[in-house]
Amino acid sequence: MRDYILLYVNGLEQRISAAQAFQPASDYLRLDLGHCGTKVVCAEGDCGACSVMVGRLAAAGDHAELQHVPINSCIQYLYQLDCTHLITVEGLKVDGQLNPVQQSMVDSNGAQCGYCTPGFVVAMCGLANDLQSEQNQEKCEGKPCHPSEKQVKDSLTGNLCRCTGYEAIINAGMAVDLGRFKTFSELYPDKEMVANFKAHAQNELMLKAGGRTAYNPTSVQSACKFLSEQEKVVIVSGGTDVSVNMNKRDLAPANVMSTAALPGLTELKVIESNDRNERKILSVGAKVTLRQLEHSMKDLVPEFHNILWVYGSPQIRHAGTLAGNIANGSPIADSTPFLFLMEAEIEVTGCSGTRKIPMAEFYKGYKQLSLHKDELITRILLPLPQANELVKLYKISRRQHLDISAFTAAIRITLKGNIIEKAFVVFGGVGPVVMRCPEVEAALTGKAHELATYEAAGKIAKETIAPITDVRGSRDFRLTLAENIMTKFYYETASSERELACR
Amino acid sequence: MSIVGKNIPHDSAPGHVSGESVYIDDIAPSRNELLVDYFGSPFAHGRVKSLDLSDALKVPGVVALYTYKDLHHNVFGPITQDEILLVEDVAEFIGQPIVVIAAESRAAIKAAKQAIKLDMEELKPILSVDDAIAAGQYLDKTYKIERGNVAAAFSTADHIIEGRFVIAGADHFYLESQACLVHPGEYNQLTVHSSTQNPSEVQHVVAHLLGLQLNQVVCLIKRMGGGFGGKECQATHPAVMASLVALKTKRPARIVYSKDDDMKYTGKRHPYQNDYKVAFDSEGMITALEANLYADGGAYNDLSTAVLGRSLTHIDNAYYLPNLLAVGKICKTNFPPNTAFRGFGGPQGAITIENIMEEIAAYLGKDAYEIRRKNCYGVNDRNVTHYGQLLVNNTLPQIFDELSQSCDYAERLAAVKKFNAESKTHLKGLSFTGLKFGISFTNKFLNQANALVNIYLDGTIQVSTGATEMGQGVNTNIKMLVADEFAIAHEHVIVMTTSTEKNNNTSATAASSATDLNGSAAVNACKKIKERLNAVAANYFAGREVGIGAYSDSIVYRDGFVFDERRPQVKLTFPELVNLAYRERVSLGERGHYITPAIGFDWSVGKGSPFLYFTNGASCSEVLIDRFTGELKVERVDILMDIGKSINPGLNRGQITGAFIQGMGWMTTEDLRYAASGALLSYSPTTYKIPNIYDTPPVFNVDTIDNDCTVNVKGSKAVGEPPLLLAFSVFFAVKNALSYVSGKEIPTLVTPASGEEILSRLTEYKLKAAGLPFKYWPSETSSVLPRAQSRATGRSMKNRLLSGANGNVSGNGNGSAKSKEEQELAAEAAI
Repeated sequence: MRDYILLYVNGLEQRISAAQAFQPASDYLRLDLGHCGTKVVCAEGDCGACSVMVGRLAAAGDHAELQHVPINSCIQYLYQLDCTHLITVEGLKVDGQLNPVQQSMVDSNGAQCGYCTPGFVVAMCGLANDLQSEQNQEKCEGKPCHPSEKQVKDSLTGNLCRCTGYEAIINAGMAVDLGRFKTFSELYPDKEMVANFKAHAQNELMLKAGGRTAYNPTSVQSACKFLSEQEKVVIVSGGTDVSVNMNKRDLAPANVMSTAALPGLTELKVIESNDRNERKILSVGAKVTLRQLEHSMKDLVPEFHNILWVYGSPQIRHAGTLAGNIANGSPIADSTPFLFLMEAEIEVTGCSGTRKIPMAEFYKGYKQLSLHKDELITRILLPLPQANELVKLYKISRRQHLDISAFTAAIRITLKGNIIEKAFVVFGGVGPVVMRCPEVEAALTGKAHELATYEAAGKIAKETIAPITDVRGSRDFRLTLAENIMTKFYYETASSERELACR
Repeated sequence: MSIVGKNIPHDSAPGHVSGESVYIDDIAPSRNELLVDYFGSPFAHGRVKSLDLSDALKVPGVVALYTYKDLHHNVFGPITQDEILLVEDVAEFIGQPIVVIAAESRAAIKAAKQAIKLDMEELKPILSVDDAIAAGQYLDKTYKIERGNVAAAFSTADHIIEGRFVIAGADHFYLESQACLVHPGEYNQLTVHSSTQNPSEVQHVVAHLLGLQLNQVVCLIKRMGGGFGGKECQATHPAVMASLVALKTKRPARIVYSKDDDMKYTGKRHPYQNDYKVAFDSEGMITALEANLYADGGAYNDLSTAVLGRSLTHIDNAYYLPNLLAVGKICKTNFPPNTAFRGFGGPQGAITIENIMEEIAAYLGKDAYEIRRKNCYGVNDRNVTHYGQLLVNNTLPQIFDELSQSCDYAERLAAVKKFNAESKTHLKGLSFTGLKFGISFTNKFLNQANALVNIYLDGTIQVSTGATEMGQGVNTNIKMLVADEFAIAHEHVIVMTTSTEKNNNTSATAASSATDLNGSAAVNACKKIKERLNAVAANYFAGREVGIGAYSDSIVYRDGFVFDERRPQVKLTFPELVNLAYRERVSLGERGHYITPAIGFDWSVGKGSPFLYFTNGASCSEVLIDRFTGELKVERVDILMDIGKSINPGLNRGQITGAFIQGMGWMTTEDLRYAASGALLSYSPTTYKIPNIYDTPPVFNVDTIDNDCTVNVKGSKAVGEPPLLLAFSVFFAVKNALSYVSGKEIPTLVTPASGEEILSRLTEYKLKAAGLPFKYWPSETSSVLPRAQSRATGRSMKNRLLSGANGNVSGNGNGSAKSKEEQELAAEAAI
């Protein structure tokens, strides 16, 4: 057992004792190290001012041994960051000079008050670092090479700016000369860090201070054992919601168990079926991040990709996992309607082995999971839509990006001719759990795929659900959305109307 | 070559991008420093029955707890002194401070808050404008501006529309929350580092409430992480609390609000509820306007009187109103005192007339741009405002004409009509709004500034002014103005930390005028030094070049050199001249003072010329709405402004885009939701949604006209606030879109045009078209309320059906005359 966290900050080794470990990385950077460039504004992952790069050991076969991704340091507690390398805004200059991203932000007036700027610069450097992967460097060879507008925007949805209106920041990103950008692995040669991480990773981390324990098991068996033996254990995966509750709602569990050191659980692959008619299934390991899932969905299920694209922010998706989103059990979780829709199975592992729980049976009530005390999610088996199915996913929120949904819906229809043979309808944000709506499904099944059918189904949807009014929307709003979404689905899927729907 | 007019990066940009810029909470803690926080009222309105601090004082790490009894004075306020800092008897808003806590750690502060025993009786709070009106609760007298004969104009009017326009508040959402660090000095002197737009006010309020002389308090501000008006007055509260602790304990004391607390407990943009009655002819020319403005001031006046004043002077916006009666009141409610926010009441006045323009167009079945252009202020006539100020060099007609051409308004309007007739899934809207924003503080005495310019022997310069840097680039502007005066490299000028020690009795950095005032003061200081330097230079050149006398007037500064224009080949470098002057015992430091000329306003008659000039503009926005979800996309925005000659065009563009997007957030996604208790529910970015990078319009054309005729410094115009008002075009594009589905009604829309608000209106008109009743959302009693409780429900509104003569020309196929019963049903449903 190891009683300290090994962390590198801007290339320098830090050893963090248990007494310091129960704090967000942002507090550690600002208060313990005096790296005050990293700002804390919201302390809940919704503004990006605290963005830092985190470098972790990459899976075998990747070109660099440490892979750096942007995260919100305000909702990453130190025990989640054992054996990682943090790069803060202070660590971005090259030989004391502004790097091409920093210089571009200066030249394009991308900074006004400056408070959000470190976060933007870090996230933008993350983009430049990604784009400067080996194959891209070859592409840039000898000619100026810049990020596209979409790449810039996609990388910055997790950062809020109140001064610029973003125009200057977008221009700054698009003006970055990637050819001049030194990658993080060039800036911080990782040989020593990697060796140190590998040596430390063998030794399980157990931190005890002030009556609290943080434990990073290195096998699923020891994780299950810890769960079975200890009371009040909170499992932390990406921590993007748990840490918010620690920051804002006084959550201070006696035991936190991070999945960070668990081996494996990173599988993300399609299980091909021998039977041509049988559905393909995507196997998603519990440690697969939402960002990795987003990439894989781009071609596999574009509809789900669109949801993941607006899900939180890059910083959230780089930390959060599908398993974490499921275990968190929110009725407005953005990933779960699709899992309900496709009748996913959750593989859970406990001391006595592994079992699979159908998605429909996974929740017993608001944030109540059908997990045994010693169990944790190890894998998600996600059946994929087939070519003959019409699948649409909806996420309604006040703002398109980085916003918690007021209402979600997922609809899957199989047509035989113009008759609806099978219908799956799932709503989120209309009750304590994400729910399938059998009444609406019944109203669709066997009917013609035409406007009147969906209008009638919408009326039934409205009568069936009982949403509440809260800060994200009124009951009336949600009722109307449930009704209208059926019609919207029709216009988006009916071939004769599709042209109109897509404008 | 003059540096003025060039794109110089913000003087703090290199520090910003490398994380090296220092804000209050980044200043390294000093030995012995205390953390400060406060315990506030749990009720929006309540009476303290008992307060027991004994347990809280025993909490390890708690050093001191203070109440109002520890203050020398407890009442303050920038206009009327009506605000209580620490609750004595009755609390007027949730979170109003009661106990100031000084402790060694955050944990101790938290424990202390839990250990404070407060027994409070809850009193009935006033949480809406309607309730305040019913209770007769106002924060100041009634203000009025009147012109012409309104009654006569209404009696002969072709058409009259009445309505109520409800305007929501907004949170400033500066990224850096309120913060202050105080170092105690000798003899009760305090050094106050405050994140404030108004260091002199912090100095005054700290001194007043702690019983110190003004000269015992120095307030400094290097920079703010955003202000937007929110730190004009309300930085004083944390500053006093930290100062109290520092003074009493003799230890450094720091207070930094969490974002949540900042949002919950500080004032916001004033919500307004404006009732209007407008008379116009069949061509859409307005003949009279009567407007009753009700500002929600919150619990105390703060700056509300001045905010309301600006609403009344901006009720015309870009349009000539021959007969007008505008009356304004400030309602007292039990919310944190509402305060300055970019635009300062101007937007709440101007949006009212823009709403009226949209409604006249809908009513007459005409295009709204045509109505606006017709009513636009003229160049040679129709060019006097309702308060009597002549518009000199009015560029509004030029801007309207040029932008409507460059944005292809007519073609796009036709395309929108065609789209709406065809699409079953989406609706489009297009709107063009104008802008005329008066520049100067409406309180005359505030229109002054002083600046200190010190030249050092290597020819470098330090400048200090009362302007505060919050990202807008005022320091960069001033640096450029000073560099320009001496024709030296801008790198040789540094604008120093703003300090009341260097500049006394300063005005807030507000009213968009910080560069106008402080830049002019700095230029005046430079000119005074130059007079002395010129004499030295003239003597020097006369001595060296036989044949010319010593003429100060012919000394020229250019590209780092100084010479006599008659003998330009003989030069001194600027540092050489400075050294010559030093050896001649000439003073190389100077203070400049500036007052804005020829302005004034008299509220007793509602007349005057309060503004030095006007910043003008217009914008055109096109939006796309999902008919099923109410989701809104702003697809294209075109902006054209008259901002004179820019000192720094790059910084100005940042002000325009930034203000526009901030205004767009207020108009669309930023929705303040309150519990029935008055507690703010949307108090963090999780629930309060300011625009995100993808909300910036994909097509965003921003341009300025050439205008060389501005009376201000270097021919520039202020730009900080005005472009925020251009975002109204987004809101009215939504209203315009609704006009295609609102049947025979003038569409009603309240701010913000959130997806929910839009969907509720779409649903309303869909139901009404089917002859079904509609009840505004939330239709049931709910514990969650939008701030604007009195929604524009149709109550007190008259003539909201489209003009019968013109019918509905919006092409929605819904223009067939409804039966009388149907109309009555629709009218009833709207109640």
